[in-house]
Amino acid sequence: MAKIGAVSPPVASSDALVRARARAAFLPDLLVEARRVANNVIAGWHGRRKRGIGENFWQFRPYVEGEAVARIDWRRSARDEHLYVRDREWEAAHTVWLWADPSPSMLYRSQLAPTSKEARAMVLILALAELLSRSGERIGWPGVTDPFSARNGAERLAAQLMHAAQQPQRPDLIQVRRFSDVVLAGDFLDPVEETIGWLDQLARRGARAHLIEVADPAEEGFPYFGRTEFTDPESGEKLTAGRAETLAGEYRRLYLARREELSSWCKRLGWSYTVHHTDRPSSQALVAVHLAMSAEAGYAMEGSL
Amino acid sequence: MNWLSLSFAQPFLLWGLLALPVIWWLLRLTPPRPQMETFPPLKILARVIKREETPHKSPWWLTLLRLLLAALVILALADPVLNPRERAASGSPALAIVIDNGWASAADWDERVATAARLIDDARADAQPVVLALTAEEQNQEIGPFDADTALERLNAARPRPVPVNRPAIYGRVAAALEDFPGAAVAILSDGLASTGDEAAFNQLFSGNPGEVLWATPDRLRMTAATDAQNTAEAFEVTATRAAGDAAPRQVVAYASDDKGRRIAETTIAFGPGETRAKGAMRVPFELRNDFVSVGIEGENQAAGLRVLDENTKRRRIGLLSQSEADQAQPLLSPLYYIRRALSPYADLVEPSSAELTEAIPELLARKPAVIVMADIGTLPEAARRSIIDWVNGGGTLVRFAGPRLAAAENDEDLLPVRLRLGERSLGGALSWTEPQSVADFPNNGPFSDLAPPREVVVNRQVLAEPSPDIVERSWANLADGTPLVTGVQRGQGQVVLFHVTPEATWSTLPISGSFVEMLRRIVQLSRNQGTINEANAEGGKALAPYRMISADGLLVPPSPEAEPLANDSPAVTLKNPPGLYGSEEGVVAHNLLRPDAELTPLGRPEAPAPVTAIRYGLDEQQPLKGPLFAAALALLALDSLAVLWLGGRLRRRPKMARTAATLLAVALALGIGGPDMARAQDERAGEADAIEAISKTRIAYVVTGLASLDATSRAGMAGLSQFLADKTALEPGEPAGINIATDELAFYPLIYWPIDPAAPMPSEEAVARIDAYMQSGGTVLFDTRDQYSAGFGADATSPATLRLREILSGLNVPPLEPVPEDHVLTKSFFILPEFPGRYRGSPLWVEASLNAPTRTDRPVRVGDGVTPIMITGNDLAGAWAIDEGGRPLLPTVPNDPLQRLHAFRAGVNIMMYMLTGNYKSDQVHVPILLERLGQ
Repeated sequence: MAKIGAVSPPVASSDALVRARARAAFLPDLLVEARRVANNVIAGWHGRRKRGIGENFWQFRPYVEGEAVARIDWRRSARDEHLYVRDREWEAAHTVWLWADPSPSMLYRSQLAPTSKEARAMVLILALAELLSRSGERIGWPGVTDPFSARNGAERLAAQLMHAAQQPQRPDLIQVRRFSDVVLAGDFLDPVEETIGWLDQLARRGARAHLIEVADPAEEGFPYFGRTEFTDPESGEKLTAGRAETLAGEYRRLYLARREELSSWCKRLGWSYTVHHTDRPSSQALVAVHLAMSAEAGYAMEGSL
Repeated sequence: MNWLSLSFAQPFLLWGLLALPVIWWLLRLTPPRPQMETFPPLKILARVIKREETPHKSPWWLTLLRLLLAALVILALADPVLNPRERAASGSPALAIVIDNGWASAADWDERVATAARLIDDARADAQPVVLALTAEEQNQEIGPFDADTALERLNAARPRPVPVNRPAIYGRVAAALEDFPGAAVAILSDGLASTGDEAAFNQLFSGNPGEVLWATPDRLRMTAATDAQNTAEAFEVTATRAAGDAAPRQVVAYASDDKGRRIAETTIAFGPGETRAKGAMRVPFELRNDFVSVGIEGENQAAGLRVLDENTKRRRIGLLSQSEADQAQPLLSPLYYIRRALSPYADLVEPSSAELTEAIPELLARKPAVIVMADIGTLPEAARRSIIDWVNGGGTLVRFAGPRLAAAENDEDLLPVRLRLGERSLGGALSWTEPQSVADFPNNGPFSDLAPPREVVVNRQVLAEPSPDIVERSWANLADGTPLVTGVQRGQGQVVLFHVTPEATWSTLPISGSFVEMLRRIVQLSRNQGTINEANAEGGKALAPYRMISADGLLVPPSPEAEPLANDSPAVTLKNPPGLYGSEEGVVAHNLLRPDAELTPLGRPEAPAPVTAIRYGLDEQQPLKGPLFAAALALLALDSLAVLWLGGRLRRRPKMARTAATLLAVALALGIGGPDMARAQDERAGEADAIEAISKTRIAYVVTGLASLDATSRAGMAGLSQFLADKTALEPGEPAGINIATDELAFYPLIYWPIDPAAPMPSEEAVARIDAYMQSGGTVLFDTRDQYSAGFGADATSPATLRLREILSGLNVPPLEPVPEDHVLTKSFFILPEFPGRYRGSPLWVEASLNAPTRTDRPVRVGDGVTPIMITGNDLAGAWAIDEGGRPLLPTVPNDPLQRLHAFRAGVNIMMYMLTGNYKSDQVHVPILLERLGQ
């Protein structure tokens, strides 16, 4: 009988090269997927400071000699004898650090989900990279690349990832400065105290973090029956349950309590905490995260002004 | 024997059962293998499962199941045997086997032989000499001692005999043979029935001090014997007797057979509880009863179950003659009244239609009566007298009663047993000194010797016999003073009897006494119907040759060479005189095994000076239990696997699989224990549901040829046509029906589409006959050879499909055919179609020729009744109609032309409409004219 869950690429976790190759192999696919998701999301986007259709009006100001004639707003200028130039919304390049959990537990994929957690997290991050870089933000990956601004940010990020050495379990957040955004996609299955421990430095630095918990439905629903031996993909620990179905209620309670605790901690800090299940479309999470970022952008701007 | 006769061939293996506790301990320790699952949030789970899962214990019932499994395997390995053969009589110097092979052993003779064979086998193992004696055989039979092989040969040659056992003689010989072997074992395989001299026989047998006595007797004496058969007035009564030990109520069926062995009557005989004797009556006409040759008890395959009949049991015809027709108002004074009343229960009375003796006597003799009773007839006309004398000499019994006429008549030497004095004697009365006389004891020599004398009878008047030397011999009954009251004498093969009194109560009270009935009945019993011999005939010392013998298994067989003629003085049934019919076709005497009063008494176990071991009859019943035990273990193993799957949660997650497993288990259980349930659903006839489904909707049928692709195409084609019909017409056909012409009911379907493929098996003759009947009863078969383009060119080009079609049609009554003419109803029944294409175009559609129908120019449609029973095309209609689930055509038309497919569908609609409406459409052409006339 087939198992419920499996760790998708059967790669020896120690072999960095193999691991990297595997990742490099699936990154282009994810990139395409991410673009598709980003395009879905971008059409419904509002309030971005971006040139083009739907750009926000900021102010009219009188034309100053030497400016490009093309910038004159003739419609406004026709109402009196001055020439006006339409000023666009103030735009300041924002630094957004993106990070997806590379730990082995992310490789898990159950039969209930179409994709593994890692793939989904990567799709989300790359889609965000695409979105953010399209809107001119600076994106970076802690430990892999410094923040950069490029139209093809997602592509570049993917290229960087492809050639990156094996990443540590937790990101090196030393470069994160104040007012930067940090998007962390992972399963956050470590004990809450540990997670809070390493995220605390972000809070102390004044960065805003957006946590995306990518969860497999099997992890949340616990659809196991009978005598089952559970193996931790990270530590290799084994645990045997005599009648797994009897544990489901208690486990779910703990699982959700962890999420609740983490979520409330984030809320307290003004961070967002998005839960995404791998059996749901990734665009859902993307919209949610982006909304959270937009909302915070306003808040952050107020604070900064 | 012991209640659980179980033994083990390898009992030491049972020590393996001691290992069960170890197995139990191991099983307790070894949990079922878990499913392996990767689970990232293990740390959270670890907080749920606080304690370490220390050696998991199996549930107790699983352990029990496995223990049971192990125990079963160990038991099976020990090779247990149920009903093991007991070994008796070991260690004796010799073994004597005395088998009753009389009639009572015949029913289960095989079991007795098997039992004896086992004993002989045991003796062979011990190298004992065997004395083998059969109690129904001749006394001089060879009884051994033999070695085991010879004894077995002799045993296999032994047969049950249709005679009673003769224990005293045989036991004596066995005892003599055992004198050389003191302490020998004696096995008595008895038939369970007591016979005379048993006690002495056993004493004699045990006189040699046997070392051991093995006693076998049937568990139950189930034999039922037909002990009597009486032909009474209303019915033929059969008496059956069963053994005294058989107390349960029982019903047996008795039957009567004629001389050809045909069973011509039957009756049921019911034994009440504890009854050993019961009667059954066969109420059949007496002509039929007289054909009875034997009566038997059904299911009794032993000699006593059959009883042969001779003339004694046949109902006699009795002619009654009287000259004085009494006044009808005073029947009690009629001379024949008491005779009639006395004889009618036992015989068939024949009375002549006229009182004139010259006519009456020939008329009576023509009926061939056994007895003629003449009430007070004096002188007979000479011709009648001669014929009566011939009749008496031929075996008739003439019974005459005295009376005034006889008293006045002259003596008749031939037709009176004694010479009579003229006139009658009056006893008592006004002018007489004498008293009315009573009847003395019946003389010993007469036929009435065993009857009780009628003391109450007084005789007032009689005719007197002349004294003669033989008067005493001829007197069958006397008065108290010694004068004869009834005299009788043998004349030729018959006899003449004279009652010296009147048949009515004027001269004596004899006619109104019970003895009168008895006496008449006895006389009738002595009589014979004409044309027969009687036992009196055998008195002359002539022995009767065996004619038909009763075999040991209760059948009438030709006599064996052993059978000797039946001498008159040897009524005993012996091997020389086995039971059966003796005599010849002319007449037979029945020699029956059991007397009417015989009883079947169970034989008690004799007192023996040696230990008596009871052994059972029976075939070798030992039954190895190894196989069943292993099967049970296997079943438990299957259960265990299921249980492990269930425990592992693997059944739960796959409900379908769980259901399958549950179904399998339920089926297995139902097969095992659900026997009675199977009988419940018997109300429904087989195929009823199919029939209801077939007729609740109009369904187009196609013949399942057995070629998967062809059948699929047919089915898809019919489905396509059905859909097209539902779209375009008011007809909404049901699912297409694939039918097997050899088995399915065809009458439900208006049209059967039959694609012909030479690769399909040729239908059987019966199937073709069914198709023929279907066509004759109004159905239509649409044959499709599908060979329009493969048939080749030329007028006589034939394809294999066409050849096959010809083969099939050769078994059918095919009417003359023609291609559909232009004005045929088919062309107009729904769409107006000039042709009927399918996947191919061009093959004509052949239908029954409507040659006689007049073609009229003013009518667009040819008239004609009926629907063609057959249509033949080569256009592959089903191929054009075939659609897939999505409604898309399956096969391309040739040429690939959508319009041709549409035409094919229209052709199908037309055919179907034609099927369902017949020539209705040909009448529809009148509608415009009718409407016009109506002024619309």
